[in-house]
Amino acid sequence: MDAPLQIIPKRFPQYDHFALNGNIDAQAETLLKELPARVRQPQVTIDFSSSGRINSMGIALLLRCFKAIREEKQADIELAGLTPMNTMLFKMTGIFLLATPAKG
Amino acid sequence: MLSNDPILALFADTEDENAWYRPLSTIPDIIRITAGRFLPVTLENMRGLGINPQLAVVSGALYPTVMPELIGMLKENFPGIEVLVLSSTFAPLPPIERLMADKVRHLVIEPVSPEGMRSPLLRAVNDLVHKRKWEIAKHVRKGTQIHIFQLASSADKEAVIGAVEGAVKGETAEHELLRQKGALLADEMLENAFYGAPRGADGGKIFRKGENRGLLPGEKIVFRFAFDGETLAMEMADSWGSLAPDMVMEYLARNQNSAGLPEEIGGRGLFIIWRFLDQLHVDITPGNRTVVGGHLHVSSPFPPEAPRGFHITITEKEKINGCTVTDHS
Repeated sequence: MDAPLQIIPKRFPQYDHFALNGNIDAQAETLLKELPARVRQPQVTIDFSSSGRINSMGIALLLRCFKAIREEKQADIELAGLTPMNTMLFKMTGIFLLATPAKG
Repeated sequence: MLSNDPILALFADTEDENAWYRPLSTIPDIIRITAGRFLPVTLENMRGLGINPQLAVVSGALYPTVMPELIGMLKENFPGIEVLVLSSTFAPLPPIERLMADKVRHLVIEPVSPEGMRSPLLRAVNDLVHKRKWEIAKHVRKGTQIHIFQLASSADKEAVIGAVEGAVKGETAEHELLRQKGALLADEMLENAFYGAPRGADGGKIFRKGENRGLLPGEKIVFRFAFDGETLAMEMADSWGSLAPDMVMEYLARNQNSAGLPEEIGGRGLFIIWRFLDQLHVDITPGNRTVVGGHLHVSSPFPPEAPRGFHITITEKEKINGCTVTDHS
């Protein structure tokens, strides 16, 4: 899938919700850099159910983005819509040390 | 290495030796040794008798944890000996830093029961004894089409990834996972070729990830893959040869131990390639060519979190009548 990243925000009473649609790679740098500033609530859900391929550059950008959300916004991050492939990749690269997979 | 040189196999104890008996039993001319305090004398005696093994298969239960000095001892007695460390999918990964320090470039992780596939250990021993390189054609069924792409610019990347995804046909969840792994591996291999390999005179990277670029004069990037319905094999060759074996091992070790927290860590792409392939193969002709490849299966014998092996080899530039040949085709 050759689809550049789009970030679709939704605001719920208890948490912020951002759907990451498309590939997460070097092209996603600007959008992911801007994402922490868009967080308003102490609970954030990042939804990967419509995301495409996530490569090593995408992992680096997600790590930087999640670290900023935690440090600058003191917010907890939950990851939704993960595929088995996302889970494997996030486990081996340490993403789960910064964000928790959603239950169920 | 001559194919009739004996192979040395070293184990921590009898139990360890018995655990590896089956895969090693089909290898001819193998000398089995259970290491103990008399090992230095045994090795010296072998040398004195003119026995000159060129390959040592060392159990991960023995080295590096139990006998860290083993490789030094082997190299002292048999200079030029190639060492292959053998471990299993349920054992912890041997510390790569130690392997790097001892210049051990071959690690085989043997699945508990490699049913339906040839033992990775036997393949590795055979390749090392006969000085054969990893090749796609040896890992897919005879007659399988091998797809070859010579890329002209970074804009070609998505078409190649699409071709890998399109070739892995099948509707099961395992096929879908293999398609995704294949796409990611192709992506990482090509990113390495386009942005990691090109280096300036100072050793620094020439291109920034994500920028569109064409090939430089004389530069060549070739991607190959094949899928036979069960095995997906792929390799990427660039014409830089800028990787070094120690650099490969350092990237693997650094990413293995960092748990990803420093986001700007180097070599994450190579680390991901290693973790998704059954075994990583890297062949470097310094200053001339780097080939990164490997294979994976629809029904993988490796649990997702099991350690993976690697083979890192150096090829000297081809020489004809003492002249170095550089292929510019």
